Amino acid sequence: MTATKLSISGVGKNFGAVRALDRVDLDIAPGEFVTLIGPSGCGKSTLFNMLAGLLEPDAGGTILLDGKPGKLLGRTAFMPQRDLLLPWRNVLDNALLPCEIEGLPRAETRARAEKMAVDFGLRGFEKHFPQQLSGGMRQRVALMRTFMFERDLMLLDEPFGALDALTRSMMQRWLLDIWARYRRTIIFITHDIDEAIFLADRVVVMSARPGRIKLDRRIELPRPRDAHLLTAPEFTAIKRELLDAVEEESLKSFSA
Amino acid sequence: MLRAALPILLLFALWEAAVVGLAIDPFYLPSIRVVAAAMQAQSGFYLDAYLVTLAEAALGFAMGGLVGVASALLFTRLPMVKDMVLPIFIVSQTVPVIAFGAIVVLWFGNTLMAKAAIAFYLTFFPVTINTLAGIAAVDARQVALLRSFGAGQGAVMRKLLLPAALPRIFTALRLSASLALAGAIVGEWFGATRGVGAMLLAAMFNEQIVSLWASILVAAAVGGTLFAAVALAERAMVFWREEL
Repeated sequence: MTATKLSISGVGKNFGAVRALDRVDLDIAPGEFVTLIGPSGCGKSTLFNMLAGLLEPDAGGTILLDGKPGKLLGRTAFMPQRDLLLPWRNVLDNALLPCEIEGLPRAETRARAEKMAVDFGLRGFEKHFPQQLSGGMRQRVALMRTFMFERDLMLLDEPFGALDALTRSMMQRWLLDIWARYRRTIIFITHDIDEAIFLADRVVVMSARPGRIKLDRRIELPRPRDAHLLTAPEFTAIKRELLDAVEEESLKSFSA
Repeated sequence: MLRAALPILLLFALWEAAVVGLAIDPFYLPSIRVVAAAMQAQSGFYLDAYLVTLAEAALGFAMGGLVGVASALLFTRLPMVKDMVLPIFIVSQTVPVIAFGAIVVLWFGNTLMAKAAIAFYLTFFPVTINTLAGIAAVDARQVALLRSFGAGQGAVMRKLLLPAALPRIFTALRLSASLALAGAIVGEWFGATRGVGAMLLAAMFNEQIVSLWASILVAAAVGGTLFAAVALAERAMVFWREEL
């Protein structure tokens, strides 16, 4: 196993005359949970699209996965902001979509999905269709689909952005639980500073456009974490520090 | 079944009430009872017309549906082919079907295929256009997600674009069901001796008003059959409704 799961260096992206992403350098260790936070339009999603292999970085930038360069399409598990579940597939079939595309043996993956559905709180709902589910459940199906696509690096783009506050904090604790069990490397985009700190080993703050890494803060808070942590003084101290950095960038993007 | 039958029975009742109540001249509107009696007296003849026209319309409709969907998929896969062929499709639709009738009969003779060809000509285009619209309406992020799972063009087509376009495809098919019937009847006007269209013409030329109305009812039965078949298929395949 290499010491770094993902190594991003000098990665930038122009869209025509707009510089969306400046030189981004970031190394992520295996099994690490990194949250990415920054003002809207700072290029977080652009970075994600490049990591998912949907977009090529501009010349000069390199992305190494497991120390190797090359096409990233199909090598990372990407979960977009919206759940994007297919309404004609039931819960289990939606989760099995990436395995079907990979052409994995059906019976085997189905058995695996049935087992995984229990962990994702979807037991008894396997045959339900997405339109019959609540927002939180749909998100869990989308997340399960991402986990079924067995890649060590998972890219989660604001997965809980559309959920109400209560469901969201439940989902956060649940995700940490799942992460501890399945041990994947996760990069998680969010707009919510509490969420960023609560989940992460490291919080990475991006600058306003053109996106750059402004702050890379290690979060040494003990695990497992529970809701009380949100009001602990050490949590608030980190939050203040990050808030300052994020606010500064938000103001910049506001006045630009 | 009952829900479909009830309005029809109501319509028949109104028809009968109007004829009796307003003392309408049977030349303009004969009593439904007289029409029904005539149909019953010659049930074999009318059943034959129903089956013949249904076969023609259904064959043309099936070909139109298949070619419509297939060409839309091909156009999506190869935009260059779309740019070349779609304008020809559009121009073809500006020529009235009547103008083609004689040619088609010349090519195929007085066969089932000749009528089906005309039904096909009327049906494939709406299906092509609606399938294309359905595919175009698919969320680009959805396509990106499938690609991130390593899906190629074929898998994106099978697992996403085609099923996502189904609601619109069925909208077109419902429209095409009645067009296919019109096509089959027009086809029969070019010298056919069997079928609803042939019956309509004969009744018209001989001023057999009862037979004319009976033919109209048979035509409605053919159209209803096609429409019901499409509706059943739709209910089975698009149980999830448009949501993307």
